[in-house]
Amino acid sequence: MRSWHGRVWRRVASIVLLLVVGVSLSANWLAPEGYARQYREAASAPPSRQHWLGTDEIGRDRLARVLYGTRISLLLAPAAALLSTLMAALIGGLAGYLGGAWARVAMAVTDLFLSLPWLFLLITVRAMMPLNVSPMISVLVTFLLLGLLGWTTASRVLCATAGSLRNADFVQQARASGVPDARLFWVHVVPNLKPVLYAQFWISIPAFILSEANLGILGLGVTEPTPSWGSLLRELEGVISIGEEPWKFVPLVLLVIVVTSFQLVLSDQEQVAA
Amino acid sequence: MNETPQAGVLLSMRLSVRYGDRPDVLRDVQVNIRRGEVLGLVGQSGSGKSTLAMAVLGLLDRKQASAEGSIVCEGRDLLRLREKEFRALRGRKLALVLQSPLSALNPALKIRTQLKEAWRAHASGTPADCNNAVRLALESVTLPSTDDFLRKYPSQMSVGQAQRVLIAMAVMHRPALLIADEATSALDIITQAEILTLFRQLNRSTGMAILYISHDLASVGGICDRIAILHQGQIVELGTTEQVLTTPQHEYTRRLMAAMPKIPQPQISPQEKTEAAAAK
Repeated sequence: MRSWHGRVWRRVASIVLLLVVGVSLSANWLAPEGYARQYREAASAPPSRQHWLGTDEIGRDRLARVLYGTRISLLLAPAAALLSTLMAALIGGLAGYLGGAWARVAMAVTDLFLSLPWLFLLITVRAMMPLNVSPMISVLVTFLLLGLLGWTTASRVLCATAGSLRNADFVQQARASGVPDARLFWVHVVPNLKPVLYAQFWISIPAFILSEANLGILGLGVTEPTPSWGSLLRELEGVISIGEEPWKFVPLVLLVIVVTSFQLVLSDQEQVAA
Repeated sequence: MNETPQAGVLLSMRLSVRYGDRPDVLRDVQVNIRRGEVLGLVGQSGSGKSTLAMAVLGLLDRKQASAEGSIVCEGRDLLRLREKEFRALRGRKLALVLQSPLSALNPALKIRTQLKEAWRAHASGTPADCNNAVRLALESVTLPSTDDFLRKYPSQMSVGQAQRVLIAMAVMHRPALLIADEATSALDIITQAEILTLFRQLNRSTGMAILYISHDLASVGGICDRIAILHQGQIVELGTTEQVLTTPQHEYTRRLMAAMPKIPQPQISPQEKTEAAAAK
């Protein structure tokens, strides 16, 4: 049963997410100077009328970087989630549908991936790539890695769901009509995986936002000068106390608000998947 | 009791089936299905009726079952066919209608998609050809072929309508044999009668043989030319509907007959009889 305060919180969270996405998409208008322009005369400046969140150590406007960084994190995390969900559908869904040895082998591989410490894996794979790649390629590589390595949990769920559909009456009936195996999977089984696929997609987004932030803090995410939440959080490395320069915490606060909002909205999706 | 092959036979089987290491579910079952006949297969739950249906359609592979013997259809032993060869027969020569129409239709697909999928399994052509085949199939089961109807999902239809859609899918390619596995068990008595009439009409108009599987002797008696009684994996009695229902030979058949529900006769008191006579 869904309580009224749950509904209210979900509504508030949806509005917050829409607002954050809307504002980040308006970055071109809100910060027309861009995220890379350096105001060298005002390096490490506190908030002012010209720079609402101050500037970083090389004089770039922090608000502009937060807006553009939010846009990158919020646009590419869904892209990575889409990639990982498709991979999970292909690997887990197909393995569950085929059953038998296929399912056992696919799930053994999935378990192997699940048993690896994911952060260590991401760091290792990312570190194997050259660090002096262009910002655009670093953005693509970061989220491609997240997508390619983030399918495992969803794969297990989808394998179990597809396995339960394998002997469903409607699959039996379609087989009895002479529908070939490939069509049986794509046309008859996959549409029935949609609720789980949707839920997995939405659940992956905050997880990937946090993963990118983790990589960014370690300097293995999106490279300079392109901002992302991860690279913006690196600024906190040198902060001694919150009271000293609280405006530097804005990216962290935004990250917490967005991830929390996602979790609140997703409580609905989890009920669908359950 | 088993049968020997005869002329006019569409499908002749001699079949044993077992699941894993467990005892045989079907033990040397020998039945012939003649062209154009309606053969009833009667037995209680667990007697092996559905296993026999799945064996004929080659759908036992996902149930860890092994079949021995032979199922000869038009000169070919179905048990020796490769999956690809078998798939070419399913839906075209051999068709299936399952018990529960609402679970046998895909809940995530519109009726139009499901009918088109059944058509595409064995035919190719323009979208107009496909639409025409869908329309004809729906008309053959007295369902509308309007856009409104085709846009529906199974959950938006009545059970009777869903069962007719399943039958339309099954008869789309004019199969030689339709296997109706408890196809009326989930229906109310009026819809059941309508579906039985429809089966009979399709049988007469297309010459398609029907293997009508049921535990309900009354419905079997209303539609079948011959009846086979399956008990503990063996055919214990086989004969014309009249023979089996009027002079059952096997003890199990007699028990089935005795177990059929009877409508109690209303008790009329002598006074009511007098009043009724006076009224006349």
